[in-house]
Amino acid sequence: MSVEALLLSLRLACTVAALLLLLALPLAYWLAFTAWRGKFLAEALVALPLVLPPTVLGFYALVALGPRGVLGKLWEGLFGHPLAFTFTGLVLASMLYSFPFAVQPLVNSFESLDRRVLDASSMLGASRMRSFFRIIVPLAWPGVVTGVVLSFAHTLGEFGVVLMVGGNLEGITRTVSIDIYDRVQALDYVGANQTALFLLVVSFAVLSVVYGVNRRVWSPWSGR
Amino acid sequence: MLFVEIEKQFRTAGAAAFQLHIQEEFPPGFTVIFGPSGAGKSTLLDCIAGLISPDKGKVRLREKVLYDRDQNICVAPQHRGIGYVFQSLALFPHLSVEGNIAFGLAKFQPAERSERVQRILETFHIERLRQRKPPDLSGGEKQRVALARSVITEPAVLLLDEPLTGLDQGLRRAILEDLRNWSAERPIPILYVTHNREEVDAIGHRVVVLVDGRIREKGLPRQVLDAPRALALAQAAGFENLFAARVIEHRPADGVMRVSVDGSHCELEVPLGTVHPGETIQLAIRAGDILIATQLPYGLSARNVLPGTVQTIETRGTMVHLEVHAGVRFIVHVTPGALRSLDLVAGSVVWLVLKTHSCHVVAAD
Amino acid sequence: MKRIAQLLLVSLLALPCAHAQTLRIAAASDLQFAMQDLASQYEKQSSTKIAVTYGSSGNFRAQIENGAPFDLFFSADSLYPQQLVTAGVADGQSLVIYAQGHLVLWAPPASNLHLAQRGFEVLKDPGAIKIAIANPEHAPYGRAAVAALQKAALYDAVKSKLVLGENISQTAQFVQSGSAQIGLIALSLTFAESMKGGELWEIPAGYYPPILQQAVVIKASANKTAAKDFLEFVTGPTGRNILSRYGLTPPESAGKS
Repeated sequence: MSVEALLLSLRLACTVAALLLLLALPLAYWLAFTAWRGKFLAEALVALPLVLPPTVLGFYALVALGPRGVLGKLWEGLFGHPLAFTFTGLVLASMLYSFPFAVQPLVNSFESLDRRVLDASSMLGASRMRSFFRIIVPLAWPGVVTGVVLSFAHTLGEFGVVLMVGGNLEGITRTVSIDIYDRVQALDYVGANQTALFLLVVSFAVLSVVYGVNRRVWSPWSGR
Repeated sequence: MLFVEIEKQFRTAGAAAFQLHIQEEFPPGFTVIFGPSGAGKSTLLDCIAGLISPDKGKVRLREKVLYDRDQNICVAPQHRGIGYVFQSLALFPHLSVEGNIAFGLAKFQPAERSERVQRILETFHIERLRQRKPPDLSGGEKQRVALARSVITEPAVLLLDEPLTGLDQGLRRAILEDLRNWSAERPIPILYVTHNREEVDAIGHRVVVLVDGRIREKGLPRQVLDAPRALALAQAAGFENLFAARVIEHRPADGVMRVSVDGSHCELEVPLGTVHPGETIQLAIRAGDILIATQLPYGLSARNVLPGTVQTIETRGTMVHLEVHAGVRFIVHVTPGALRSLDLVAGSVVWLVLKTHSCHVVAAD
Repeated sequence: MKRIAQLLLVSLLALPCAHAQTLRIAAASDLQFAMQDLASQYEKQSSTKIAVTYGSSGNFRAQIENGAPFDLFFSADSLYPQQLVTAGVADGQSLVIYAQGHLVLWAPPASNLHLAQRGFEVLKDPGAIKIAIANPEHAPYGRAAVAALQKAALYDAVKSKLVLGENISQTAQFVQSGSAQIGLIALSLTFAESMKGGELWEIPAGYYPPILQQAVVIKASANKTAAKDFLEFVTGPTGRNILSRYGLTPPESAGKS
């Protein structure tokens, strides 16, 4: 069983979940509270990665991140080496792939907040930032946790996009899901099984810890 | 002095769109804003608070302009210095009572903050609730915390949207007392929205009646609500019996005119008015102004004695709600004691006694 | 959650990096088992570490053109490496045929299809419900399979029974697992432990163009010396020995089967 592949996958999932949280918070705030009539277009755009097959996403990601793509060229100019087939490239492609999983739970959570509570915060002189961090985020916490957990789990299980953009390089882009695929092709079913089982156990453990820690936070809200 | 001139198109659930059209000055002290649901009371408060933008108009607090459409001025709610207690209270469920109350004092030093918090907790008699969280508070306690939270910032205007709904009378009076004590030392405009008649009387100062987005009446509660001049007001003021009636004849010598109620054989004598025979008026009669007799009464000053049958009886706490058919359906209120001593049941034959002056002639609108 | 993520991130970034030189090799899937032996033998006599990625040759060509950071490319044909040279991505001077591959019919043990006796005719057997071949779009062994079927005038008859593997390894796995009853696969794959005991029939040379497998050094490689050294090892006597254990014959014997 490849520990290296497992650690790589975990590293990828953590990085993606953390970065997506940073991106998703302001975007979800805007989506939940804007009165712009064109909001439905933005919502459709956010949901797009949900309906596109991973290979389509992977293809476009490869084109964009490769040496002939916009992002790839920019990156190469700045850092001297291409973006595709690197861990950073994987992070970017995975962020695109798991984007709706981070944004949508946040939007739902924000939208279901009692508007009058936010009004009260404003009337008491809180700036928008203060209202956001002191009132909105704590009250929408279940949505925040869901968003992070979903993007983590979704990235952990990713295959198609990673294969297209990653190049299956040992220690760099050979994630656990690809490693399992490799084992099967090498007719090493025992190895494949071991790795798959381990991934299952690790994922379950992570999810259990996260949901367990947040149990206390959720109970008062169930009656609201 | 709060000066409000607002026009706003708004819509309440299920109803057609209304135009809110207000031009009013609110002096320091309590002003009760009274009106039926959907009249636009909450919308008015939201416009003053800056949570909603009017379509056009001005809002000015003393010399400071809070909103002026023509000059493109719109001060954000955070900076208006207005306290607002919502109907739903909107307490922060994840913060303690202390956290809720201190929320508006973020700009103060910790020492000053805790001093103010202590004083307000005492004013509203909620010191022992300091560490509790809103889900663990009772109805009255929540209301007190909501009030404390809004007034601790020493606002220049206080907006209260039905802040005491759902509380029993005793609790209401106690909290109002605390609020009045607090406001006694502060000459700021306090706008108190309610549709509850008892609260209007309890507060007692100016009443402004809002119906369908416009101010219909203003003055003292007795002037405005006891002798309603418009049907909508009568409905708002809680007159349970409202009828259309056709004038049959004038009797100037008796100071009355006879009318036929709702096209039935039921006739009443009502105060003399200027409406001509043959024309229609609207009658408003309080259920509490009607007497019931189980025997035909004699020697009464009341001009209207109507035979009828009790249809339904419903006891609601300290008041019994009866429906009596006497040509038309009347709603009558008596005490449970009266119900018992008269031994009234559904089907009882009774006489309804109405004073002429209990039959208010109101203008249809 | 954010805190946990940050903690994990910090601890994982502290993973020790490989300090010995690592050679990254893109290898055609038919080398799945042969390359493992080559790599472990080479690592015994050199300080270079070998990291292999297996896949279909056509796929690698596309990736390498797009900047995939491999040092060496071992294709299952000659076409793809030459395309890379023409595209200016690979070093033409390093181009070398390292082995010749062979196409076989294979069925798992106890399938009772009697391949060895019946040859091509077995493909028409009702027991051969699914026939696995590699995807001819980007796998050389798939191209060869299609050529052989057409030459045997069987292609149209069996077309509907074909299942395509993404590369020749996956194709073999399809048959080995029983998802397909029979397959046209690389001879080199049949020497694996889990493939032993299967039924096998070597498809005669005349039925498909010879599979001349070429390797090439990638221009963008930072380890060209090590790459050339490994290439020499593979084409040298030790390398050839290992390769022939897997039925990958030396190129001079092209024409013989």
